[in-house]
Amino acid sequence: MDGVMSADIIVIILATGIRLATPFLLAALGEMFVQRSGVYNLGVEGIMMMGAFAGFYATLQLGTPLLGIAISLAIGALMGLIMAVVSVTFKAEQGISGIGLYMFGWGLSGLLFRLYVGGVTSIDGLKPIAIPLLSNIPIIGPVLFNHNGLVYTAFLLVPLSGLILYKTSWGLNVRAVGNKPEAADTLGVSVVRIRYECLILGGMLAALAGAFLTIGQANMYADNITAGRGFIAIALVYFGRWSPWGILLGSLLFSMADSFQSMVQVLGINFPYELAVILPYLVTIIALAISYGRVWAPAALGKPFQRGTRG
Amino acid sequence: MKKNVLSVILAVLTLLAFTGCGTKPTAEPAPQKTDVEKIRIALVLPATVDDMAWGQSMVDGLKEVQKSMGEDKVEVAISEKLGNAVDAGSAIRQYATQGYEIIFAHGSQYQSVLNDIAKDFPETTFAYGTGFATQPNIFAYDPQAQEGGYLLGILAAHMTKSGVVGIIGPVESGDAVKYNYGVQQGVAKGKADVQTRIAYTGSFNDIVGAGNLAKTQMSAGADILTGSSQQAVGAVRAIGETEGNYWLSTDMDQSSIAPNHVLASQVYHWEKVVTKIIELRKQGTLGGQHLTLTLADGTIEFKYNEKLADKVPAEVKAAVEAAKQEIISGKLKVELPKK
Repeated sequence: MDGVMSADIIVIILATGIRLATPFLLAALGEMFVQRSGVYNLGVEGIMMMGAFAGFYATLQLGTPLLGIAISLAIGALMGLIMAVVSVTFKAEQGISGIGLYMFGWGLSGLLFRLYVGGVTSIDGLKPIAIPLLSNIPIIGPVLFNHNGLVYTAFLLVPLSGLILYKTSWGLNVRAVGNKPEAADTLGVSVVRIRYECLILGGMLAALAGAFLTIGQANMYADNITAGRGFIAIALVYFGRWSPWGILLGSLLFSMADSFQSMVQVLGINFPYELAVILPYLVTIIALAISYGRVWAPAALGKPFQRGTRG
Repeated sequence: MKKNVLSVILAVLTLLAFTGCGTKPTAEPAPQKTDVEKIRIALVLPATVDDMAWGQSMVDGLKEVQKSMGEDKVEVAISEKLGNAVDAGSAIRQYATQGYEIIFAHGSQYQSVLNDIAKDFPETTFAYGTGFATQPNIFAYDPQAQEGGYLLGILAAHMTKSGVVGIIGPVESGDAVKYNYGVQQGVAKGKADVQTRIAYTGSFNDIVGAGNLAKTQMSAGADILTGSSQQAVGAVRAIGETEGNYWLSTDMDQSSIAPNHVLASQVYHWEKVVTKIIELRKQGTLGGQHLTLTLADGTIEFKYNEKLADKVPAEVKAAVEAAKQEIISGKLKVELPKK
């Protein structure tokens, strides 16, 4: 055990890191759209728990993970809608209503689990799909091309989100609404509508992140299954400076560090475990501190829109 | 502006009302007119009643006591998800105020909270564990997790084909350290050239994290795995999806999660501890004792998964049995880590 890492071990670390990054990517990309439209939703964790439970329960009852994903998306949309009603229509303070949504999601998912399932129950989740040809490439194949469908979905969503945000008129509207809602409003863009759409989209992606945990990783459900991942996703939106590629970088950095520290522990390399466990957080904070430059944020972030007033 | 403030308050109240629905305690702690015979027991849990580990093992023990003494003789109330000691404290105080006679705070983190509360209720019996420090009306219970861990370690050393035994730990403290240390010694005793690899998730309830750590352990070569705390079920599930890897469970028999992968278990028989506390209280001892769970007094049981019993060769079973008898007779003392 002198800390020599073979090629096999490195492949395992990288492949695990890709898998671990998936829930962060999904939830953070969703939250990116939400914040780009000028709202911050701190309820991501609660939506993830509801999505995790909905996906798990639907898979258990209906026997196919695909239906589990569909139902989880629907529940996520509903949770996003609740947040939109509270924070956009009623203009409630966003931080508090987000935390409320988190507690609501945690409590309700735990209660539903107790009422309808109760106890540790296993499901048959998503199986890895090896991409033909590509998965045979040495090193790159097992690292990138032998995962379940949600992993591919999450990574494909990165360029797709970029396209939507920067190259479509809807994306332009989102950015306008998040920066200068009054100007967007004068030009006939409905601020309320865009924010509703973003919150619903964000809710769906957060629920999908939760469903990935139950259907794509654990293949079971337990109370508090997300264990803080939703809050990490929110932090990654800030780390990624509200851009899909930045979020990809942050998610990978965090997850690769996590995967690496697990392997360091497993191989018995002499390193205090307390430090190992916080390594992902440490690396992410250091990277954020080093890259500190022009801090940009959607200008109207956190401000409810009221026609006829100035921001 | 006024309207704004109002809508914020309304929104928060609505959400809080919903949240209230979700975290309701499972049993109604409503005070009743009790006849003199009935014993009222309350239990405060860090996780859930059905976690297939630490919490559930105690709940099963209480149910057992209820069954043997008669449902009408023992009343049990449970509050769960109180991992935060401050929240647990208010639940414990409430139970004491309502006249519950024995209150179990099932976690080492409740020790200082109990010390505070117990002074105000000198007639009530409190119990917590894992721990050893007591007060006149506080019992501390203390499973000797290393004893079963040692036996499981011997079994693991003989059953591994890869020569690597993996441990998925929660946080390096208390029970987990004792258990892991026992497993390590057992493995070393079983076969000198088998490695034990310990890794921690840094959490007690991250089942996804425990599952991922189990996958990493297996991909790096471990084929027999074990670990304590409620998150372990995530690891059991991950192993259940593989071929040729086995899990050894502790706290309770987890073989229902993966019937073809859980070889053996260390099971805590809380009913014996609860019964002992009830009897001591009847005799006028309200607390002050450090109650250990051991193989010798039968509060710890070593149990094979019957379904897989034929996978374990007879000579391995004999080696485990010999070690068990040595521990029971006191000839062998499984060491604890030196502080």
